[in-house]
Amino acid sequence: MYINKIKHILLFFALTALVACEAEIDQYTPDPGQANLTTFVAVGNSLVAGFADGDLYRSGQENSLANIIAGQLMHTGLGSFKQPLMKDELGFGNRLVLAEVEGSLMPVPMPGTPDPANFANIYQTEGPFHNLGVPLAKVSHLFFEGYGALNPYYGRFASNPAASTVISDAAALDPTFFQLWIGHNDILGYATSGGEGDGITPAISFMTMYLMAVEIMTHNGAKGVLGNIADITSIPFFQTVPYNALLLDDQNIVDLLNHAYSAAPHINFILGPNPLVVADNDHPAGLRQLEAGELVLLTALGGIRNDGWGSQVPLPAQYYLNLDQIENIAGATDEYNQTISMAAETFGLAYVDIRSVLAEAEHGIYFDAIGFNTEFVTGGVFSLDGIHLSARGNAIVANEFIAAINRKYNASIPKATIGSFPGIVFP
Amino acid sequence: MRNFTMSALLLLVMTGHVFGGGYQVSLHGHKQIGMGLIGTSLSLDASAAFYNPGALAMMPDQFGVQAGVSGIFASTAFQMKQPSLYQARTDNPPGTPFYFYVAGKITDKLAAGLAVNTPYGNSLAWEDGWAGRFLIQEISLMALTVQPTISYRVTDQLSVGAGFVYAYGAVEMERALPVQGPDGEGRVNIEGSTANFGFNAGIQYEHSSGIQVGLSYRSRIDMEVDDADALFSVPASLSGLFPAENKVAVSLPLPANLDFGLSYQVNPNMMVGMALNYVFWDAYDELHFDFETNTPGLQDSRNPREYSNTLILRLGGQYRVNESLFVRAGGYFDPSPANENYFSPETPSLNNLAFTGGLSYIPMPGLSIDLSLLYVIGMEQEMMYVPENFGGTYQSRAFIPGLGISFSF
Repeated sequence: MYINKIKHILLFFALTALVACEAEIDQYTPDPGQANLTTFVAVGNSLVAGFADGDLYRSGQENSLANIIAGQLMHTGLGSFKQPLMKDELGFGNRLVLAEVEGSLMPVPMPGTPDPANFANIYQTEGPFHNLGVPLAKVSHLFFEGYGALNPYYGRFASNPAASTVISDAAALDPTFFQLWIGHNDILGYATSGGEGDGITPAISFMTMYLMAVEIMTHNGAKGVLGNIADITSIPFFQTVPYNALLLDDQNIVDLLNHAYSAAPHINFILGPNPLVVADNDHPAGLRQLEAGELVLLTALGGIRNDGWGSQVPLPAQYYLNLDQIENIAGATDEYNQTISMAAETFGLAYVDIRSVLAEAEHGIYFDAIGFNTEFVTGGVFSLDGIHLSARGNAIVANEFIAAINRKYNASIPKATIGSFPGIVFP
Repeated sequence: MRNFTMSALLLLVMTGHVFGGGYQVSLHGHKQIGMGLIGTSLSLDASAAFYNPGALAMMPDQFGVQAGVSGIFASTAFQMKQPSLYQARTDNPPGTPFYFYVAGKITDKLAAGLAVNTPYGNSLAWEDGWAGRFLIQEISLMALTVQPTISYRVTDQLSVGAGFVYAYGAVEMERALPVQGPDGEGRVNIEGSTANFGFNAGIQYEHSSGIQVGLSYRSRIDMEVDDADALFSVPASLSGLFPAENKVAVSLPLPANLDFGLSYQVNPNMMVGMALNYVFWDAYDELHFDFETNTPGLQDSRNPREYSNTLILRLGGQYRVNESLFVRAGGYFDPSPANENYFSPETPSLNNLAFTGGLSYIPMPGLSIDLSLLYVIGMEQEMMYVPENFGGTYQSRAFIPGLGISFSF
């Protein structure tokens, strides 16, 4: 009889075990809040398109900022999000990969031949597209009729490369929600040419065209999110080569250089790190040494290493930014950002202060137990070109856009899991 | 053969999953487990050698030997800090902590015993590639203690005892490294073992009215592994930054315990009791990895844990149905020692609420088959590891049936 009782007790325990043994946490429920997220369109430049490692390629596009945001919006009503995907991992053939060259790691061109189909227009076969990020596009280019004939990145997915505009293609999708992140190229061309090539778009022109773009995108009552402009001079492209990159550890070479520059007494070399010698038309001698705070472009690295740039040969003016140029860039960034935050306020849109986010990342920041900073290659935020974000960098920024949308529209869009995106691949 | 037995034994022990606070495991006797894991004031049998050496001299029998094992079926669930849909859970192998006690009375007043058990351990495996893999993917750590004990009955009512504790500890852990190669992410595996000493002492008071009071103290033992193997697997171009076969020194304290127990024999058939366990968890302030070879990519790392002391309240009792059957029930509340800002998923220790039941079947005098069952609810709580910005809501459940046998005369 007791055996029977024991059996019953054991049976009870076994059943309890079956139902209650597994830990289980209730799933949280995503919610679009006051935003209608059923049709999402992203407008911008390379940062929206998924450009990384010097090119636009398929897996980079799959991990694009716009696609990561869209992936999360799928949980709050978004139906579909189509991107103008490249056919392969080579894009237009400018992609960089990390390789070991003479014992040191550096980005080198990825071997292979790109699929010619990457250059062909795919609007008729695959369009229309929701990711209207166009590498190289400035704000004025959004309204440029026939921009597709000028910029192959738009040409390949424009509704009519000879006549359509990016903004009209975007508006034609009748979005309920949009992302607009544009303006970096209005400064970047100036910055990456050492202030010698492309000019900075005047703030007043930027404001006019930016507000026009927002006006068009909100015309049908769409809500949206605007991102501001980051400090371009803080990206690895300008922060990797120090102003005093010339390291001399041999007194003979120091003497030889001092002798070679004996006609220019303001130029001196010592043992240890030395400021690079640069060409400067504003200097009476036409050349001088860099000052602390001036920035050398990443693209100068090859010449410094191999061709004596900065020592035997003055570094050409298009490879560095002087203090005035840096100030011009900072000033334009301030003015653009005033426009963008004003636009967000005026049109009742969400606003993301990407400038602050990336500034915070400079000093090192953790997401999901992965450490990030803005160092070239090892920092993890930027891709191998030192300008564009990595896949994880895109995910970090995507989460900031999502947070801004959640705040503004009382939405509850789930964030992306940073660690589920690929990191920089080391050989 | 002996070697094989020993390693098989260790293998079994290695899989003990944490279910108590921190990495303390309290499965040391199925009679006690059945009663909410009270035991400090009990002088039931040879298991007193562990629970309270002071009570060993009070055990009713001349000689006792017992052994038991538990099966731990536990899982922990994780929901990433909201808003996120990310969830993960552990996929733990069942753990099997065990105990073995033998004790006898040398004279009427003097008793001696030996306790072998596994008072600390933690084994868990998060699902492969989970979001917290850079903190922990898999871990198993355990401590096996061997404790020779003597106990002396000073008066009919008062006895004292003490034991010398030899502790053997082993740890194995694996983390992912956020460096990616053509074949996937880097990994580091750390494996090592060590041994150290401590003590266990107690005092027991038993009044003829049926009231029993016990107080015991188990000392802190630092498990200092000086030369654990640290095996790195990283992309070839980074092998200079992460030497493949490094060594690491890592230390883990086994915290001291101060236990107080009070029990009352209500009538010949019914006993009720309680225990308070104060655990000196503040010993665990950080987990420090000191690598033998440092590189610019591999620095020593200090990981704050900032545990706090905890007080566990236990209640339980037993009822003798007849000569051959005892039934038991109990429960306890074991608050988490973990700091909510330094909560690492390697030891997802939550506030635990547990219910227990048990019985002993006595087929013949001197022989007892002891069954216990423990159900532990690790209460849902949002926890962060702030230094690396990782966290969310954790919850756990454990279902722990146990079987033991004791023999005495």
